[in-house]
Amino acid sequence: MKLYAPHLGHLEGLEELLAGSDDIYGVYMAGSPEYVGTGRTNLSAPKLEDIAEQTEYAHEKGVKLEIILNSSCMGGQHLTPEGYRSIDWYFNRLNDIGIDSITVADPYLVEMLVKDYDMEVVVSVLSFVDSPQKAEFYENMGADTIVIDSAVNRHFDKLEAIKESVSCELKLLVNEGCLYQCPFRYAHFNFFSHANGPGPKPNVTDDYYYYKCLSLRIQDPELIIKSPWIRPEDLKEYKHITDIFKIGGRTHFVNWTLNVVNAYANESYDGNLMDLLDCPKDLKDLFYIPNKELDGALSQWKQCEKVCKRCGYCKRLTDKITQVYTNEGTERVLRPLHSIGEQQ
Amino acid sequence: MILIKQLLTSRGELENKLRNLLGKPIFLIEMDGFALPCGCSGATINTRGLQIDDLEIFEEHILKYLDDIAQSLEIDSSFMFARLIPGTSEIASLNLRMLCNNCYMDFARGSGKKPRPDIYILRFDRK
Repeated sequence: MKLYAPHLGHLEGLEELLAGSDDIYGVYMAGSPEYVGTGRTNLSAPKLEDIAEQTEYAHEKGVKLEIILNSSCMGGQHLTPEGYRSIDWYFNRLNDIGIDSITVADPYLVEMLVKDYDMEVVVSVLSFVDSPQKAEFYENMGADTIVIDSAVNRHFDKLEAIKESVSCELKLLVNEGCLYQCPFRYAHFNFFSHANGPGPKPNVTDDYYYYKCLSLRIQDPELIIKSPWIRPEDLKEYKHITDIFKIGGRTHFVNWTLNVVNAYANESYDGNLMDLLDCPKDLKDLFYIPNKELDGALSQWKQCEKVCKRCGYCKRLTDKITQVYTNEGTERVLRPLHSIGEQQ
Repeated sequence: MILIKQLLTSRGELENKLRNLLGKPIFLIEMDGFALPCGCSGATINTRGLQIDDLEIFEEHILKYLDDIAQSLEIDSSFMFARLIPGTSEIASLNLRMLCNNCYMDFARGSGKKPRPDIYILRFDRK
C-alpha cells in the first residue's frame, strides 16, 4: 500500500511527520499561491528554496514529494500571455528542484505539464473524475495518476469501470468528509481557489459554504454517515481498484496526521470516526461516532441504490451509534443523539 | 482566571439550554470576551446550527439565556444582537456588547431590528 500524507509546508513539520511514521510513501504540500494556488486552505506559502530543501529532505528519507496546485478557478488568468509565462516559469523551477509530482485540476495545466516537463502529472480530486470517459480523457492527455472524485468512493460500479478503462495509476482520497453529492462543492472550491491563489483575494468575513455545511450536519447528523469517506478497515475492499491512498488534511497538526496515517497503515481504528476526517474537523468536538461500530456498513453501501427516502439505512445507523458531547459544568460527557432536547 | 472559567461554564450552559429548547445539537464553537480600541467591550458566542427562524420564534427564551450570561460575566445587557451571514438563514454569532459613545450613535441612528444586513438586534435599550 502507498500512503500519501498531507504536509503543512514547513521543514520542521516535515521532519516531525517523517520521524513519526515509516508508513508514508509520499507527502504533499501546497506551492506558492502567487502562481496557481490551490483549491483548499493552506497554512503555508513555501518559497522555492523551502520546497528545494524539503524535497531533498524527503528524498533522503526515501519519501516522494508532491506539490499541489489544484486551483479549480483562476479567473482565466492562466490563459493570458502573462499568466502563461508566470506559470511556465514556476513549473520550470519546480522541475529543476526535482519534486516527484505535481497535482493540478485544470485540464490546461495537465496538458502544459505533460508537454514540457519531467514531473509526474497527477489529476486532482478537484478535476472531479467520476466516470470512465473523464478518466480516459485525462489518460489520453498524458496524466500519470488520477485521483478519483471522492463522490464515487462508494459507487463500486463506477470505480471498477474507471479501473477497467485506463491503465494509469489511480488514487483514492480516503478521509474527506464532504457532503455526499455536495451542492456547494464547485462554488466552495472556486472560492478557496481565489482565496488561496494569486489574487485579487476576496475579503470574506464568513465562509458561507462551510457554515452551511456544518449547520446541515448539526441538524441532520446522518449526512456525516453518508459522506463518502473510506474507513481504514475497508481499504481491503478497494485494493482491486488501487493500492494508492491519499489522506486529506493540510491544515492539521502533525500529531493529527500521524494518528490518521497509523489508522490507515494498520487498517484499523478504535476511536471516533471524526478523528480521522479532514473535514468538517470542527464537528469532532460535537459528535462521537465509534468507528468500530461501522463494521459491515460498507456491505450495505456496496449494494446501495442511493435513494435515501426508500432505504433509510444511514438514518437508522446514525440514530443507533451517534453520540453527542454535552456539558456538565466544565466537564464534557457523551449522550445519545436522541437524548438532545429530552430535558425540555 | 475567574473570567476565563466563567466563560467556559457559560458556554456549556448556554449550549445545553439551546439544545434543550430547540431539540437539536446546537454547537457553540467558541465564546470570547473582547475589548475594542474604540471602547466597546463584551462577549461573543460563535454559533453553528442556529438559524434566524430559531431566533425569531424563541427570541424571548434566548434573550433570557443571554441575560443570564450577562449577569454571570457582569456585562451590561442593554445591547445584544445576532450576527448573520447576509442573505441566508445562518447565524454566525450571538453578541453582548457594551457600546462606546461613538458606536452607540451608529446603532442609535436606526430604528429597526436590522440596521445592517448582517445584524439582527435582540435588544437595544436607548440612553
